[in-house]
Amino acid sequence: MSASGEKHSPLEQFEITPFVHFEVGSVDLAFTNSSLAMVITTAVITLFLTLSVNTRSIIPSRVQLISELSYGFIAQLLKDTVGEQGRKYFPFVFTIFMFVLIGNMVGMLPYSFTFTSHIIVTFALAAVVFVGVTILGFAKHGMNFFSFFVIPGLPWYMLPLLIPIEVISYLSRPISLSVRLFANMLAGHTLIKVFAMFVITMPFYSGVLPLAFIVALTGLEILIAFLQAYVFAILTCLYINDALHLH
Amino acid sequence: MPQLEQTEFFISQLFWLVVIFTFLFIFLWRISLPRISSVLEKRESKIDDDITSAKQLQAEAEEIQKQIDQQLRNARLETSELIKTASTKFQNHTTKELHQLDNNLSNTIEESATTIKKNIKDSLKQIHDQTYLIAKLTLSKISNVPVNDNEIKDTVDQLQPKVIN
Repeated sequence: MSASGEKHSPLEQFEITPFVHFEVGSVDLAFTNSSLAMVITTAVITLFLTLSVNTRSIIPSRVQLISELSYGFIAQLLKDTVGEQGRKYFPFVFTIFMFVLIGNMVGMLPYSFTFTSHIIVTFALAAVVFVGVTILGFAKHGMNFFSFFVIPGLPWYMLPLLIPIEVISYLSRPISLSVRLFANMLAGHTLIKVFAMFVITMPFYSGVLPLAFIVALTGLEILIAFLQAYVFAILTCLYINDALHLH
Repeated sequence: MPQLEQTEFFISQLFWLVVIFTFLFIFLWRISLPRISSVLEKRESKIDDDITSAKQLQAEAEEIQKQIDQQLRNARLETSELIKTASTKFQNHTTKELHQLDNNLSNTIEESATTIKKNIKDSLKQIHDQTYLIAKLTLSKISNVPVNDNEIKDTVDQLQPKVIN
């Protein structure tokens, strides 16, 4: 927030600020505040997961237990949705979950940046899932993968109507997956910022109310940060399951 | 909205996302997750080993308990047998001793009765003799009549109770 009062848009917090410019041909691969948030997120995940299990003790410390619980949480999620066949996709789902979760959490820190509030980032992640799952489906079933769009037991005359709906539904997966995360992060952070402005603009004593609301909203946002990472991971698991088992 | 307005940073965001996400994926896949997995496997195998060894120890303990029970049963049987034997032996010994004691007492009583009878006989004979002498002396002192010894003896004999025999 600008102290001078020139900018008071609640969307200002989502602005990309380049730190270092890398010109490759005509393309600028600038290292921005978004990239920095990603680097911090990655550093937190790698350091935590490496250092917490450094001792590899049979009886875990509390920190080691957190790593083990997060491992077990995703492993169980994958087992429940995909089954034993899903084990080989565990590193990918775990990476997605941790990246989105810690990215959301890092975004909750004051003056930091939420890279998951950018549609281009969430869409890229969703696109990776979508393309990967589609390739997996074709690799597993070949052309038979198209039978995924035909609902078993349906009368033939319904097919012309329902196949396009199924195809559109399938193609909209990356959009829904990415927009869900992006919109949740955007809405939550914008709301907090709006209430933060109320704290400043309202008369002294009445500003306490929006401040209390911010505290409550921050708690809710932390819950949403976890929930959205979970939703992203579980949908990835379900898409993998669809690709492996069709119907 | 900066998300849709700052399109000039789309490529850089995608580039850094690909680089960082790929690094994170490879790091977790190759380094972090195998470590956590190995710890979990180690723990699982330790728990399995402990359970196996606990089951083995339990089986051994049950076997030992069986042996102890068997030994206790045998010991009780032996004790019971010993008590029975000792009791019988003691009873026989006591009966024998009592029998012996009865015999001894009977003999002693018989001997005592014989001795008493003999003593009575001797005493009566002595009384008879003394009575005879006293009677003889008394008659000779008071009458100066010669008295036949046999008469005195017959008279004393008649007065004496027939105790002897």
